[in-house]
Amino acid sequence: MRIGTRKTILLGIGAAMVITTAGCSGGLLSSGSSDATSSGPVKLGMVVPLSGSSAPTGAYMKNGAQLAVDEINKAGGVLKGRKLELMVEDEACDAQQAVASANKVVSAGVVVSVGGYCSGATLPTLPIFQKANVPMIIPAANSQELVKQGLANVFLINGTGKQQSTTALAFMKKSGFATVALVDDNTSYSKDITTETQAQIEKDGSVKVLLNTSVTAGESDYSAVVGAIMAKNPALVYWTGYYQEGGLIINQLKKAGFTGKIMVADGSVDPSLAKIAGAGAEGVFATMTQTPDTIKGAEKWIANYKAKFNSDPGPYSTQAYDAVRVAAKAIEDAGSTKGADIIKALEAINGFSMFSGPLKFTPEHTLTSGGFVILVIKDGKFILNSVQP
Amino acid sequence: MTQLIWDGLFVGSFYALIALGYSMVYGIIKLLNFAHGDIYMLGAFIGFALLTSMGGIPASLSLVALLGVLLVSMLLTGGVGVLIERLAYRPLRGAPRLAVLISAVGVSFSLEYGIAAIAGPNPRAYPVRLEGGVFQVLGARVSLPQIVLMLIAAGLMVALNFYIQKTSTGRAMRSIALDANASLLMGINVNAVITRTFFIGSALAGAAGVMAGAYYGKIDFLMGFIIGLKAFTAAVIGGIGNIKGAMLGGLVLGFVEAFGSQWFGGQWRDVFSFAVLILFLTLRPTGILGERVTERM
Repeated sequence: MRIGTRKTILLGIGAAMVITTAGCSGGLLSSGSSDATSSGPVKLGMVVPLSGSSAPTGAYMKNGAQLAVDEINKAGGVLKGRKLELMVEDEACDAQQAVASANKVVSAGVVVSVGGYCSGATLPTLPIFQKANVPMIIPAANSQELVKQGLANVFLINGTGKQQSTTALAFMKKSGFATVALVDDNTSYSKDITTETQAQIEKDGSVKVLLNTSVTAGESDYSAVVGAIMAKNPALVYWTGYYQEGGLIINQLKKAGFTGKIMVADGSVDPSLAKIAGAGAEGVFATMTQTPDTIKGAEKWIANYKAKFNSDPGPYSTQAYDAVRVAAKAIEDAGSTKGADIIKALEAINGFSMFSGPLKFTPEHTLTSGGFVILVIKDGKFILNSVQP
Repeated sequence: MTQLIWDGLFVGSFYALIALGYSMVYGIIKLLNFAHGDIYMLGAFIGFALLTSMGGIPASLSLVALLGVLLVSMLLTGGVGVLIERLAYRPLRGAPRLAVLISAVGVSFSLEYGIAAIAGPNPRAYPVRLEGGVFQVLGARVSLPQIVLMLIAAGLMVALNFYIQKTSTGRAMRSIALDANASLLMGINVNAVITRTFFIGSALAGAAGVMAGAYYGKIDFLMGFIIGLKAFTAAVIGGIGNIKGAMLGGLVLGFVEAFGSQWFGGQWRDVFSFAVLILFLTLRPTGILGERVTERM
């Protein structure tokens, strides 16, 4: 008898779940190839991290994109009065989650994808968007791997790892750092920058790489890599992973008495970096594309953002904002919501004004110039460094 | 060289503290408690909540406050451990081992994402940092906080060893590890002893969590995952179910990691450590101290 009751309860719960799920999605069959719709709102998909360690950046991007959507809708929308609609899904900086979310936005009928933060999680979503013929304007993810496959639908509006490495090397030369240690976290994005930087340094010859090593993300103790760095004693440590491990490594390097300078790549540019690193964060350099704080003349934009979301914009707010504007411009130019037309329109864009400068895609679908600058931490905040390469 | 030994010893003592809980639980009820690493995470978050609620603590009192928080967090994580055993493991006592294992994985995910939902997914910086003088010992840089933390860890392990070897509850634990049914027939309250085992193991993991938070300064809801796996590894190296083996295994894993990354570079550290583990298990499947003749626990 007891078992019988339990079964009934389980069945009841199961049935209830099926009913509610079906109610939410409006059935499985209604979704699918709705990309050729000619009326109703134009949907933009955004797959960014809303949970996990990169969740704060995901929120900055979501807000930046929403701001652009609202501005465009207020000005009359696209294609003679059709409104833009932003659909945001979680990527969690995790390949599986990203694939699930990409499938979700594709089946919801998005016309253009304007998301992508973690390169490792964005990579597996490329074929999903490609099969559905959805152009991707990727605002933040910038691994070389993303454009290596030469997919027609993939566009990067953040500088690439290669461009970041070029800026890093130019800064090392200008500031006279003769020796450097490169440290990554074994992710696609991070490894891309160290590999590229090492290659460029070797070609250039004026800086010497003493150490090129990796750590395992998600741990607390990085004494092993700190020990290895101390043994080589380079003038500069270049960390290319994300800010959590970056903060810990900076803290542990300083505790171990490291006297050289430290530089981080754009994945570590987050207000939390200085909090985790503690006092040792002062004077840490970063290679980064411009943030709202460092762009001259962005005060009005920042004020609009603050008024709307009651918080300050952060890293990649501007890129996400620009991704939506570029998407709207391409849809308008193409005069349709068909993927192939939009891709043609994107390739034809010349001189469209963005935060990082006028936009013109290279044949590879990357930015002509990366727009990377050097930031430095002062009083716990990233500001524009006085010396630029 | 001395630096590597010291680093290995320090990381190893964290592994050992967590490995103890794995080993005790396995020794008594043959359960791989995969939620154990998340108890460590929970301890760090409880400590964080306590320290934050206390408000500003003067630097001179930070060590005292931290010790108090350590004790309270240990009590709370111990309680959570008991609750988990009561809700997720005891009803499955007679079930196949695989079912209990999956239940443990379920508890692990529930804890991780429960904390993510309550405290938010973003990493937190610990409000109190252990900072202190650094001095050179035989060419190795040793800091005061490291010494304090290792003393706490060693103290906890010595106390645990005394408890298991010299008290009647300890004797009951050892007898259940040998034969649970016979212990029951001898009048031992098996359930009560198992509850106590979970309490102690979880309290130790909670202590390690607070210590890690205060020393490294950053906590997040997934922090227990990798260290949980490593502590499990340490427990197996030492001979799972064997208390002294867990302590030894933790230190061995710490050394292997420190030397591995020195010899082969950071990207090869885990490859090297786990290759050593595989080699070790093929040659000596019962672990360093886990021979059949020695009694478990």
